[in-house]
Amino acid sequence: MSKVIRSTTFALSFGYIAFGIVALVLFAAPLWYAWQVTVEDGRSEILHADAQRLTEVFNREGVTGLKTFIDTRVGMQLPAERILMLADSSLQRIAGNLPQWPQTVPQAPGLYTVMLDLGGRQTESVVVRTALPDGYHLLVGRDVARFAPLTRHFWTGLGGAIAVLSIVGVLGGVLIRQAILARINSIRETVLAIVKGDLSHRLPTRRSGDELDTLAHTINGMLDQIEQLIHGIRDVSNSIAHDLRTPLAELRSRLEELSLTRPSNEETFAEIDAAVADVDRVIRIFNALLRLAEIDTGMRRSGFVQVSANELAAEAVEFYSPAAELKDVVLSFESTGPVYVSGDPTLLAQAVGNLIDNALKYVGEGGSVKVEVQSRNDGAVEIGVADNGPGIPDTEKPKVVQRFYRGDQSRGTPGVGLGLSLVQAVAKLHGGTLELTDNHPGLRVRMMFAPGAQVSGRPRTVTTEQQESDAVTAPVKSEPGVLPL
Amino acid sequence: MKLLLVEDNERVTRFVVKGLQEAGHTVDNADNGREGMFLASSEPYDVIIMDRMLPGQVDGLSIIETLRQSGNRTPILILSALSDVDERIKGLKSGGDDYLTKPFAFGELLARLDALSRRSQGSGTQTVLEVGDLKVDLLSRKAVRGERGIALQPREFKLLEYLMRHAGQVVTRTMLLENVWDYHFDPQTNVVDVHISKLRQKIDADFERPLLRTVRNAGYMLTDE
Repeated sequence: MSKVIRSTTFALSFGYIAFGIVALVLFAAPLWYAWQVTVEDGRSEILHADAQRLTEVFNREGVTGLKTFIDTRVGMQLPAERILMLADSSLQRIAGNLPQWPQTVPQAPGLYTVMLDLGGRQTESVVVRTALPDGYHLLVGRDVARFAPLTRHFWTGLGGAIAVLSIVGVLGGVLIRQAILARINSIRETVLAIVKGDLSHRLPTRRSGDELDTLAHTINGMLDQIEQLIHGIRDVSNSIAHDLRTPLAELRSRLEELSLTRPSNEETFAEIDAAVADVDRVIRIFNALLRLAEIDTGMRRSGFVQVSANELAAEAVEFYSPAAELKDVVLSFESTGPVYVSGDPTLLAQAVGNLIDNALKYVGEGGSVKVEVQSRNDGAVEIGVADNGPGIPDTEKPKVVQRFYRGDQSRGTPGVGLGLSLVQAVAKLHGGTLELTDNHPGLRVRMMFAPGAQVSGRPRTVTTEQQESDAVTAPVKSEPGVLPL
Repeated sequence: MKLLLVEDNERVTRFVVKGLQEAGHTVDNADNGREGMFLASSEPYDVIIMDRMLPGQVDGLSIIETLRQSGNRTPILILSALSDVDERIKGLKSGGDDYLTKPFAFGELLARLDALSRRSQGSGTQTVLEVGDLKVDLLSRKAVRGERGIALQPREFKLLEYLMRHAGQVVTRTMLLENVWDYHFDPQTNVVDVHISKLRQKIDADFERPLLRTVRNAGYMLTDE
């Protein structure tokens, strides 16, 4: 029982019932008051007016006239509809529908609520006593008991409403409690399973879209992210072990051989230089990993500024174009005009650079690489790099963004297998996605940024010349500050 | 040059001091913030090399801030194991002039120290730069070698300008990336080398005396010597 009382739903439904009752009473009280006041005021007003009229009859026609008038009225009205009584100075009945002058009415003229004997039954009545000239007494009254059923009905109704409210409330509370408990328990069971170590569990969801469902979806999203991060860490640990071990092993054997064989000076220095290159390779991998870790934490979002995506891409194209020329690759740039994203200029530049670098690496001599920046109709922004190189088979596409993954194509090319992972991480940090599609032939990689990432209004760094500078290798601007950092 | 190294790691200190002395510089070193602060404010140095994380209560950045507040304008190179771009910005904001991440190549350190000492001599107001018979007019943005004008793309001009401002000094690839392109990341392939060879094609190809030289294991140098 104590468990029931402590449960949230119980407390909630109990609270709601209490609240409902209070509201009902608060609603009924003024109604009751207003009704009472109106009825009483109206009643005394009518009685006074009646007494006044009878007084006028008395003044005009004397005792006989009034007696006739009262007798006529008593004869015409329903029994006990109106109490009428005319008495002489010694309170002896002259006319009226009371057998005798009631003792309960006080001496002085005025309005009183008294108990009267009406045809053998005691009843509460309101009466007006008026003193007529020559010592005559007039009593005009009304039987209040006729209204008693109305009052009783009022209270019965209020009580009934409270009872219905309580019963429905308790029932509803119990039902809701069971429904919610069932769902909370299923959430709890899932979470317990996850705590035990199986991260693949997900909370049950339905299509209802209610609060619990939304919560379940959010938690599932969190679980996806956690699972991905944990897998990421696991993969990275494995990959680090493999990819760092190779250059470290080479380095170690190089140094050990040097120490054992003690070759000529010249040879020694050559070996030392090679050792430094080995270390540089390790450092490079570390730096790439650190950068990835930095991006993954999402910390850099604080430093987001308005970045002109087309300028940034144009600069990257310009930067890589001599390398493309050297390889006899046509590197071109196309843009739909000024396009802005809210982001980190360094990371975006690095991501675009990585994509171009990758494309240049894999595309053959005489091939072409095209960089495109588009603002789509729905406001989304696309930064894409397409080449006509060998491309990536569909089965490999999801793998190439994994950290340290190197496809068959990449054997023999320089790189540590972190390029696309970094691009993906950058896209994700900016709320975007990375898409790998076929370019028939070749590969097309696109970073897609959701409409929210783009902000309307043009930042200060833009001039008219740059709008037109979509030419292949000629971003006009050379002053610093284009890439605020 | 007279240099101050504030660094707590003994091995790094030994390596840097030895290398700098071999390059012909005088080096004082302090292994904690307090001593570093004392030396930096009492002796005149050409450049101070400051490790970011130091033992004791005083860390590198707060020393730099204190020095700057007291009006000391000695160029400062920050050494740090923290490579985040944000950390770099924080370092430069505190009053540092350059930021080098550990581990670093000695050539990189030396080149950056040279660049810093030159910067402090205040050559920024010149409008015409000259190296041998190569002349660059920064106002009209024209380059001339001997009698012949050289047509340069805007970025090539910027590259040449940077090399000329640091004529006679080794300039590393990273320094070029940071200062000419404002790129603070590793572009994987040596694109900078390709840019340099294109520039070399324009300024050196038809002349007997090459001005733009490659310095092995370090970078490039524009010199007439």
